[in-house]
Amino acid sequence: MSGEDVKSRTIFLVEDNKADIRLIQEVLKNSLLPHQVITARDGVDAMAYLNQEGEYKDALRPDLILLDLNLPRKDGREVLAEIKTDPKLRRIPVIVLTTSSNEEDIYHSYDLHVNCYITKSRNLSQLFQIVKIIEDFWLSVVTLPLE
Amino acid sequence: MINDTSLQSVDLTHLREAPIHFNTQIQPHGVLIVLQEPELSILQVSSNVYTHFGVTESDLLEGTLFDLLDPFQVEQIQTGLTAESLDYLNPTKIWVRKRGDDYAVFDAVFHRTSEGLLVLELEPTFAHENIPFLSFYHLARTSINRLESTTNLRDFCQIIVQEVRKITGFDRVMLYKFDHDGHGSVIGEEKLSHLESYLGLHYPESDIPKPARKLFASNWIRLIPDTHAEPVEVVPAINPITESPANLTNSVLRSASKCHIEYLHNMGVGASMTISLIKDGQLWGLIACHHQTPKYVSYELRKACEFLGRVIFSEISAHEETQDYDYRMQLTHIQSKLVEYMSQSENFVDGLVQHQPNLLNLANAQGAAVYFGGKYTLIGETPKEEDLNYLIQWLQANVNEDVFYTNSLPQHYPDAEKYKNVASGLLAIPISKRNYVLWFRPEVIQTVNWGGDPNNAFELSQAEGDLRISPRKSFELWKQTVRLTSLPWQLVEVKAALELRKGIVNIVLRQADELAQLARDLELSNAELKKFAYVASHDLQEPLNQVANYVQLLEMRYSNELDEDATEFINYAVEGVSLMQTLIDDVLAYSKVDVQAVEFELTDANTSLERALTHLRQRTAETKAIITHDDLPTVMADRTQLMQLFQNLVGNAIKFHSDETPKIHISTTRLEDEWLFSVYDNGIGIDPKFSERIFVIFQRLHTRDEYPGTGMGLAICKKIIECHRGRIWVESKLGEGATFYFTLPVGGQRSERRGRKVQNNIFGRGQ
Repeated sequence: MSGEDVKSRTIFLVEDNKADIRLIQEVLKNSLLPHQVITARDGVDAMAYLNQEGEYKDALRPDLILLDLNLPRKDGREVLAEIKTDPKLRRIPVIVLTTSSNEEDIYHSYDLHVNCYITKSRNLSQLFQIVKIIEDFWLSVVTLPLE
Repeated sequence: MINDTSLQSVDLTHLREAPIHFNTQIQPHGVLIVLQEPELSILQVSSNVYTHFGVTESDLLEGTLFDLLDPFQVEQIQTGLTAESLDYLNPTKIWVRKRGDDYAVFDAVFHRTSEGLLVLELEPTFAHENIPFLSFYHLARTSINRLESTTNLRDFCQIIVQEVRKITGFDRVMLYKFDHDGHGSVIGEEKLSHLESYLGLHYPESDIPKPARKLFASNWIRLIPDTHAEPVEVVPAINPITESPANLTNSVLRSASKCHIEYLHNMGVGASMTISLIKDGQLWGLIACHHQTPKYVSYELRKACEFLGRVIFSEISAHEETQDYDYRMQLTHIQSKLVEYMSQSENFVDGLVQHQPNLLNLANAQGAAVYFGGKYTLIGETPKEEDLNYLIQWLQANVNEDVFYTNSLPQHYPDAEKYKNVASGLLAIPISKRNYVLWFRPEVIQTVNWGGDPNNAFELSQAEGDLRISPRKSFELWKQTVRLTSLPWQLVEVKAALELRKGIVNIVLRQADELAQLARDLELSNAELKKFAYVASHDLQEPLNQVANYVQLLEMRYSNELDEDATEFINYAVEGVSLMQTLIDDVLAYSKVDVQAVEFELTDANTSLERALTHLRQRTAETKAIITHDDLPTVMADRTQLMQLFQNLVGNAIKFHSDETPKIHISTTRLEDEWLFSVYDNGIGIDPKFSERIFVIFQRLHTRDEYPGTGMGLAICKKIIECHRGRIWVESKLGEGATFYFTLPVGGQRSERRGRKVQNNIFGRGQ
């Protein structure tokens, strides 16, 4: 990383549970990186945002997507499949963040080209660690295409 | 019912069954004329015309009936022949002019042969034998009145023979009844007192062979007035129209076969008359009349006897049918009860044997067996299961009908002799090629009295180069002891069994349907369970995580502002959630252990153990436990489950350590067809009274403060072992360590497969 001005990062959090959204927001507050968190509560809304439809026509393209698998209206697996088959969206790193440790879910997600699959910790301090690692790795270490 | 007494050797059959109706001879007491209609030209005559008419055969042949009789009589006959039945004409009195004004009176009887020829038979009339119809009616009515006050068959028969003898004056009148197999016995007799009684005697089938029985069935009355009279030929021997011998099937004058005449001679019979008793088109029996000397019975009297026989016999039939009917109704009632019980039982077999009435009552049997789905259900006195296995094999190979019954099974299946005391009689219905219902009756030793030794019923003689049969000479009482037979199965019982078969087939089909439905339901509910497991692992965890995370966030953010109590409360909340999470995990793990989910493969137990130990690395290090093991075998098992099993058992051994350094050893021993594993520890041990309880789900012997855990570990172990068809148990004393044992079958499920193979060997046929 160069010493250039640090661009504010957009994190798109797709999660139906308000409490989980709030918790991740709280955890991200500790972050040193300038960022903003945009949330969607279901799969349909998430796709509308990503495709800049309707009220989202000026939506910011996210730098990272945190995706829960179990979502109302449109399932997280479908959202993942749509992102990863869309030429405009497929380069955005997607991290599945879910309580499910079901083998099928893990295999299926990687088959759909998820960038990584993380099982939500039951322990808050571990969650802090995980979020920090995500930030460090995906938003600092990794070189992503500039779009 | 009778041991095989008919000589079945090669050439006898055609000798015994020589076609009687090709007999071209008639008895000399009458005249037979074969005519062609409508001219009534004479084609054949019996060669005794000169004796009776005083004219020669050649005088008659090529002429017509007009040459023999007055035109007036012939015209009357011609009119009679146009009627739809010859019964209107029969019998007709005919006067034949012999010489000058000398007339002879005859009873004339007409019948048509199957070839369309008219046969006229003339028998001299004896005026004194003329009985008026009315007196005959009284006779019949009196007889029938006597019958109505009689209830059993034997008395019935006795009345018939008495009445027939009263009218005819024969020395002996007998009622002879045929068995299913053609043998017969005398069930009624009336005779001159000095004559030897034949009542109760049996006569072999060969005494009245099949062709004779056939003739009796078509010709209801037969008279041989003089058994010593020389028969006369019908000339010409070959009929010019049919170009074959005259067909005398329905001739009343037809002479009896040589063999039969000889038979009568051997019995000392000078004249005989036989009346056929027909039931449902079958020859049921005969009224046989014997006279020591020649005896003529007029056509009318014969007809009267026949009528009497028929009327009285119809009474017998009705009576027999009523008895049959009552029994049939009783069996129908039992059968419908059984069907009702079957449909109420979960397993239809229970419905057949667990109530009253049961299977035994349906066929009046002393034993019964249901062989269904490879299992026997026995009731009453039956052969042993291993004997039944062979019997069923035999049935599968030899019986294709819907029902098989015999009252002498050893005759058909010699192996049955060893259990003759329970199953000399067998009634069997196959439900399918593999499933049977069997009824058994025990041996009943009977003495059969034969009229002469049935084994020498006839002999072969060589006369004039012709091989022929001669009947036996002796009719002395010959007692035979019949073994290996049971009481015979009655037709109504056989029918009831067949009806039951239908009922069973319906219920089996319906139950198969229900089973298929159940399997579908189970499949559905299994799928539901899997869904539930997923929900439990995911949706149930989520709110718990939420509670845990926010409580922790509270603690983290506001630790400075909270007092000690608040921190303690928060800790309890976190602990509770964490325990709940572990419980969910363990219940989930338990529910995942399932026979269907077991993936049997060759698994090196060493590898499974090593993997388990890797998972336990941290706890091993913390407790400084020393874990050792023998070289373990390769087994047929699910490797994940085997690993889980070791992990739980070794994990427990570590957890429940004593003050000493934990020492754990895993070893194995080969037993006959299973591996015995043991996990030894030197820990705190278990009170033997709890050695069963520890394997039950959620059962714990300690508080969570002492030892954490959900009480699921050993329950999971037990389930894993059960899915592998093994056993698990513990040997321990409190304070002296514990050894957990478990077994795994050598080669996984091989023992089960072997079991099936054995079954295939026994029941291999017909599958």
